[in-house]
This record gives sequence, structure tokens and C-alpha cells, in this order.
Amino acid sequence: MSHSTSTPNRAPLSTDLQPLRQYLSSLLPLLEADPHWYVSIYFERKSSKTYSVNMKQSQVTDQLVSGIVFRIYDGITLFEEATDDFDMDRLKKFALDFTKRVEKSERSNQAILRPYAPPTWVQRLAPRLETEITSQIPKNVTSTTPVHFGIRFSQDPFQLGTEDHIKKLSTLLDRCKQIAKQGGLSSSDLTYLVCRQSVAREESIFIDRESNLSQTLYRLALTVISMSGGERTFFRTGGLGGLEAVEIRDSEISQILRDLKSLKSADRLLPGKYRVLFGPEITGVLAHEAFGHSQEGDTCARGRSKAWELHKSGETVGNTQATILNNPALFENGGKPYAAWGSYFFDEEGWLAQEQVLLDQGKLLAPMTNLTSAIRLGIPRTANGKRESWASGVYTRQTNTYFSPGDQTLDSLMKQLGDGYLALHPAGGMEDPKGMGIQVGISYLYEIKNGKPTGRILKGPAGGDIQLTGYTPDVLNSIIGKSKIDDKTSENDNSRFPHNDVGGCGKYHKEFVYAGCGGPYLLLDQVILG
Amino acid sequence: MAKLTWTLDDLKFQLNSHPLIKGWVITEENTYRRERYFLLEKNRLATDQDRSIRARTVSARIFVKLSKHGRQGEITKKLFFTLNLKEQIESAIEAALQTDHQEWSLPLEIPRNLQQVFTIDPDMAEDLNGVTEKLTARIADTVQKPRKSTFNSAELFLSVLDRELHLSNGLTHRSSQSRIYTEAAFSYEKTLKDGSKASDEYLNSHWAVHLNQLPIEKIFEESAHRAEQSLEVTKPKTGKYPVLIDSEVLSTLLNGFVSQLWASNAYHGLPFIKRDQELIPDAIGDRISLTLDPSLPFGADTTALSNQGLPQIPLKLVDQNRVIETATDKQFGDYLGTQPNTVRGNLVIEPGQLSHQELTQSAPQVIEVLQFSGLFADPNTGTFSSEIRLAKLYDNQTGMISYIKGGSLSGSIRENFRGLKLSNSVIQRSHFSTEQPQGQGYFGPEFALITEVSIVG
Repeated sequence: MSHSTSTPNRAPLSTDLQPLRQYLSSLLPLLEADPHWYVSIYFERKSSKTYSVNMKQSQVTDQLVSGIVFRIYDGITLFEEATDDFDMDRLKKFALDFTKRVEKSERSNQAILRPYAPPTWVQRLAPRLETEITSQIPKNVTSTTPVHFGIRFSQDPFQLGTEDHIKKLSTLLDRCKQIAKQGGLSSSDLTYLVCRQSVAREESIFIDRESNLSQTLYRLALTVISMSGGERTFFRTGGLGGLEAVEIRDSEISQILRDLKSLKSADRLLPGKYRVLFGPEITGVLAHEAFGHSQEGDTCARGRSKAWELHKSGETVGNTQATILNNPALFENGGKPYAAWGSYFFDEEGWLAQEQVLLDQGKLLAPMTNLTSAIRLGIPRTANGKRESWASGVYTRQTNTYFSPGDQTLDSLMKQLGDGYLALHPAGGMEDPKGMGIQVGISYLYEIKNGKPTGRILKGPAGGDIQLTGYTPDVLNSIIGKSKIDDKTSENDNSRFPHNDVGGCGKYHKEFVYAGCGGPYLLLDQVILG
Repeated sequence: MAKLTWTLDDLKFQLNSHPLIKGWVITEENTYRRERYFLLEKNRLATDQDRSIRARTVSARIFVKLSKHGRQGEITKKLFFTLNLKEQIESAIEAALQTDHQEWSLPLEIPRNLQQVFTIDPDMAEDLNGVTEKLTARIADTVQKPRKSTFNSAELFLSVLDRELHLSNGLTHRSSQSRIYTEAAFSYEKTLKDGSKASDEYLNSHWAVHLNQLPIEKIFEESAHRAEQSLEVTKPKTGKYPVLIDSEVLSTLLNGFVSQLWASNAYHGLPFIKRDQELIPDAIGDRISLTLDPSLPFGADTTALSNQGLPQIPLKLVDQNRVIETATDKQFGDYLGTQPNTVRGNLVIEPGQLSHQELTQSAPQVIEVLQFSGLFADPNTGTFSSEIRLAKLYDNQTGMISYIKGGSLSGSIRENFRGLKLSNSVIQRSHFSTEQPQGQGYFGPEFALITEVSIVG
């Protein structure tokens, strides 16, 4: 990672939240009615503006989501009481009523008591953490020291007003129309075009008896969607940082418009087994859905993942190319100077972000965890306790999930692909943690002959998306090559982490959270596409 | 420290008195939710997480005057009681003035004598905690039943939403809705001939509005039973099959596809099926008749009023596969010069003639999909695809029934619904998601047979 010698710009905690932080700290002793309880308080405020310009109108949506969660873990159950009423007197009553609710709750005599004590700062700082994190922790930090983590940015996203954003998107829309015209896509063929940008300030506070943390993230995303009738192509980019995270090149616009034109007359794929080269975004979906979801600790604790059994037995589930990581501490993104989409400094249960290898050359390591799953499984906590919003519960969730890079260039992988398909545009995916099935959606495929694109595009067998399906270990054993992160150079990689895409993730068909996923180009042989 | 600084009346007063504002819609929602996550510990139901949530949100859609003829600005903004109201409104107006929309106006008339609709379970409205305890006890009893399969986990989410809609034309409307979500996951393990062990699971989830629509014991039993079936499976053979889908899939596909009957699609140049056109081109099977009905008791999208203040009454959109109406709200009615009608409501599909058994016997081989892994449907093309999580293969030549898992299925409503056969049994379904404020309701056939569906094994 390249570091500037000057002090970087960092997102501060809003000043109006300082008194609330102090007040929440003062409520902690009230909640600790029983010394055996582990008590914590989580606050979040996510404010976002989404600007959008299409061929008929320009619009803006202004969202604000904010709430407080009081948490008591009594050694058996994690109780939460959440509210968006910040009135001081009512909050105090709310906290007291909550402790009464927990005291009154029925406990089975057979319940297993698993007490929990939070780590001290000495314990927190023992593992190897990214300097983006450690550099923001004051020396001689104690349990009461307010520690703030601010995301690094170059171009302040809040320096622009609504007028600037709308103007920028209108200019982009015109650029798209112009490029469409140059590419032979007539105005009647380009039936819908929208450019959308979101800018969010996400602030959170976490307090327990050993720590007092806050963080501010700036989250930006830019999406361009083009349509011709029902056919649709899109480009999206984004990350955490400043406006540098939402840049789009003319070549990227040209690509989606060229694809849109081709999709209008695209052939349909004959279902079967094929050799296919995945681009970083689809590689990421494969990582996320494979081990990924199966390596989520709460799914393991519920007895719903085969990965937990395979981790304990040591059985391999992929070849030596199959190395998957999860990392919320990705403060660069494929060499670009902003943090990847699923990053943060600490999770919503106050655990500091750290890289974790989930699958090491086909061998499963310990899963990701949230507080209760780590306690139930008796394994270390990781920074994967996430929730859809303050109003939803915590689950073990992925942050940025990606394959480790390989040693090949894109050119050499294309040569190795020979006759097959190149898949660059994801269309969702789904996990099957117990049955070990996998589904990776692909919007469309580029035909490759003799290692070169033929210009032909293929849609799915029914004219829609294409699905890669199969038994996860079979798919991971079919990987025959991986690119470097810097896939065009014959030199060693300069970047530490591969590119991670902007994405979202549901769990058990609900509970939507942000998640990044990525990796290198990945060559697979004989996989089922249909 | 934060204090409440304003009331809804303050908000209305400030919006009404601002010279640049030409109209507004305020929505206030109060939500009380109880959630429990269960798993198994020492062969008994244990509570992993127990949550209680109270939320109050106010959202305002504000329309402002622009100097450009025939245009207006607008913004949708969430407002916070602990932040200064004037500052929030001023920043909203400042942003709205930079937007650019075709002009339209809210209805001038306030509807009177709205139809009474039933949207909330009275027991949940009265005592949500009591209902949570009762349902927890039922789940505990169900889990204790001896079975071959093992209970893994369950979730129970209950919520009550009280909603107020205020429009600048003077309309105020109050409504409430109860929402219930439960899921159950069971797994089954067996020892194979080589001594190794195989295991699989089945997750069953269910949404409802009224407690009468929540057959907990059936949901858990079905999950347990299907977990066992999940190990008696083969992969499908690649080919084209008649496929029997259930109401959950049919509801998902049609709820998305009918967006092509919405005036908003026509305005934006998105795929739009005009009046008098066929919903399914060249249909040769059962002709779909489809009504948007906001009046049905305890439907997920049962409502008396649209968000733009228009009364919502049943509207038949498709009759025998022929589009007879398109759905138009006030905004897009003004844009397109058409009369507004119903845009909210539960999807009602008229049933067919055949029983489930007749449908499964209607071809030499029929695949009945019991569960997709992740069904991805594109409302613009009507295409859909998914891995098969669990399916039944009816081989009517041999009389054998076997189970299938894996492989992917891809289809298209326009193509694979041509030979559609709908079941004569009907069912009600609800679905809610955080992406949409209103739910998706479905009242219609329990099953549908679609034809010539591509499956790769």
C-alpha cells in the first residue's frame, strides 16, 4: 500500500454525537445489574443521499437511519433492546426496564452457562492489525479512552452540494449518450439510461466495560444502467473514502453500451460443461458463496454448515489454488487508494478488523464469528458481527471475501482458456452450506476462441442469466489458474489485496448487508453452465 | 443531549407556510417488533438471541416549485425528531430545487367513506409479548417431537406497524399491520455403505399477517420431512421438462413481471405491455386472469388508500391472458394523460381445473420443484434461473417418484408459460422485505405447471 507522508484526511465523528457518547457510557453501569452479565451498547447513524439522473428526470433521496441497541449477554442468551428515541430520561428508563426484562426471563435448568469477559486493550492489540487501525489508537489507551477511527479520503465527498452532484451525473448521462451514438446504438435502441450516485456518512459508537470505540466511514457508489427493451447492462464502482472511489472511464462506458448492443442479438448458451475464465467480480461471488457463507460461525453453531465438520475432520474441499480470505481491513482496493466496500475498523459488536484465511489451499480453517457463535463454538472471535441496521439482529456476516492471487497474467490465462468463455458480469449467487451446492449467476458470457474474444456474446438458455451450479468441492477442484492482482504485468504484484466489488448480501433470504467480494481472474475447467 | 424538538403538527405547519413548497406527503410509522433466534441445546429448544425493537420514523416527500414551466422539484427525506426541524426542511428544499421532474399534483379531493380493510391480528395488536411467549411454547413443543431428522434452528419475528399518512390536501389516514416471519431448519444424517456419513438440511420459511395464517407445526414438520428426502437424491438429466412450481415461485415471478403493466414503466421507456395485448404471447394453456385486490382480509398488501391519497379498489388487469387495464397512480396518470386507478393490492390469480395429482401426471415425466436455491427473476425480460435445491421427479411411465438435487433451471415467462396449467387448489401467501415498504400478497393457485423448461444436470 502506498502511504503519503503528510497526515491523511480522516472522517471525524460528528460533534453532536460527543454528548451522546458520554451519556451512553454513563448508562453502562445501570445495565450491568448482574456482575456476570456482559453488557455493551451500540449506536449507529447512517445518513445518505442518493442522486439520480435518467432520461426523464433528476432526483434525490435523503435517508437517515439511527438507533441505539442495549445488549446484555447473560451467559446463555444475548438480549437486545433497541430504540430510536434518544431522549435522555426515556433512554434511562428504557435501560432500566431492559435489565428487568432480562432478570425476569425464564431460563431452562439445563441451559449451559457460558460466561464471557471482553478483551482488554492489551489483548486487543496483541494480534497483527493493519497500521490504518493501530495508527489511530492513542498510546496508553485504557478502557475509558474514547478511540475514534476515521476513514481516509482524498477528495471530500461532502464538499459537493446537490447541484454539483446532479450536474456531474447529467454530464455523465450526456457522455453515455454520446458514446452510445459513436458506438452505433441509436437513440431508439437506448430506451433507458440512468446514472446514480450515493454518498453516505456512517457513524457508529460501541461501548463495553473495556472499550469505548467510534468510527466514521464515508461510503460512495456510482452505478450506470443502460437498457434496450428488456436487455440491460450496468457498471458500478465504489468504496469507502472520498470522490476518488467513484470514477468512471470512457472505456468502461463504451464496454457496457457495446455489450448492450450485442445483447440485442445474442445467442443462447447450450447448457453443458465448459472451460470459463472468471473476472474478479465473479471470482468474488464464487468465494462469497463457497466458503463464504459456509464459514459463517452462526450457521455452524446452528448445525447448518458442513464446513464445520470438514474443518474438524481436516478433509480437503478444493485444490491448492483454492485459498479464500475474508478481510474487513481492506483499506486499499486492488491498488486503488480507497477502502473496499465491505471494510470497517470494527464490527457492530466492537471487534477490531483483521484478515482471516477461511480456506487455505483447499483446507478449511476456523470460521468467521460474531459474539454468540464464537462463544457457542468455543473458537476465537472475528470482526464479522453485522446487522442490517440497528433495528435488526446480529449475525455472522462476510465483509470482503476474495480468492488469493495467483502468478499468471491475464494474457497467459486467456491463452490457457483457448476455446471457452469469459465471464465478467455477476448476477447474484446462492449458498447451500449443508448440502454444499453452489450457484453463481453470470449476466452474460463473451465467447473466446484460440484465446481471443470473437465479439460474440451469449445469454442463458432461456434468454436470461446464466448459472454456474455444482458441488462446491468439485467447483473448487476445477480451478486451473489464477492471475496476479496486477494482471497485466510480468513483474511481481505491487498491490497487497485484490480488487473487491461493490455488493450486497442476504442471509437466509433476508437481512441485507453491504459486502465486498473479489479476487484475481480465475480459470475453471469443466464447470456446469446453464 | 438529544430532546424531541418538534411534533408532526409543527412539521405540517412549516411545510404549509413555506412559499416554495407546492405539496407534500408525510408518512409516520411506529413499529414494535419482537424477535427470537432459537437453536438446539441438550435436545431442547434454546434461545440464542432475544430482541425487542421500538422505532418511530417520519418521512416526507416534498414537492417544490421551479421556475421552469411544467417542471417541479422533489425530494424524499427522512426526518429526525431530535434534529432541528427548520434546518431539516431547509436542506430538503435546497436539494429539491436542484432536481427536475415533470409537474404533477396530488389529488384535490379527499376520499370519504373508505372501505374498511382488515390488516392487523387483534391478539398481536393487544399483546405482542404474550403472543411471542405462546408461539415460543408451540415451537418448543414441535421441536420436542421425536423424528429421524434433527432440529437445527428457528427464527420468530413478530411486528406491529402503526402508520399515519398525511397529505398537503388535508388528508389524514391511519392504518396498522401485523407481520409474522418464522423459519425452521432441520437436518438429516445417514451412514453410507462405505461407512462415511452424509448429511443435508432443509430450511422452511413463512411470512404471514394473521396468526391464523401461521401453521407452525406444518412448517416444522415439512422442514423435518424434506431434510430426510434431501439425502435420497440424484442429479437431474439435462433436457427440457414440464416443471411444476409452487405458489411461492409463481408469486415471485408474477409480482415482478406485472411491473410491465404499470404506467411508470410506460413513462420511463421500460418494458410495458399495453392494454389489449396478450400477457403471455401465443398462450395455448390456461389463460391467466389477474386482479390487483387491496381489499382482501389480511393480505400483505391490503390497504384502503394509495400513498398518493387515492382510494384503492379491486382492479382486474388481465382477463383470460388479455391485458384489460394498466395500473396508474396519480403522478404517472398526470404525466401520461390517463385516469389514475389502483396501484396497490394483492395479486389474485384465478385457479385452473386440475388437481395436484393431475398436474404431476400430465406428461410422461414431470419435475416438481420443492425449493430453489436462489431464484433470480428479471422483471424486464421475464426470465428466471436457479439451482434446484430439492425437486421430485414423477416418471409416469414407470410410476416411480424420485428426488432431485442440483443442476440449474432456466426459463422465461413469455416462453415457458405458453402451455401453463394452473391448479384448482388455491392458497394465500405473504412476503415482506426491507427493500419495499409494502408487502407482496398473493391469492391464487397453489401450483402451476410450466412447459419446455431447460434444466442442466
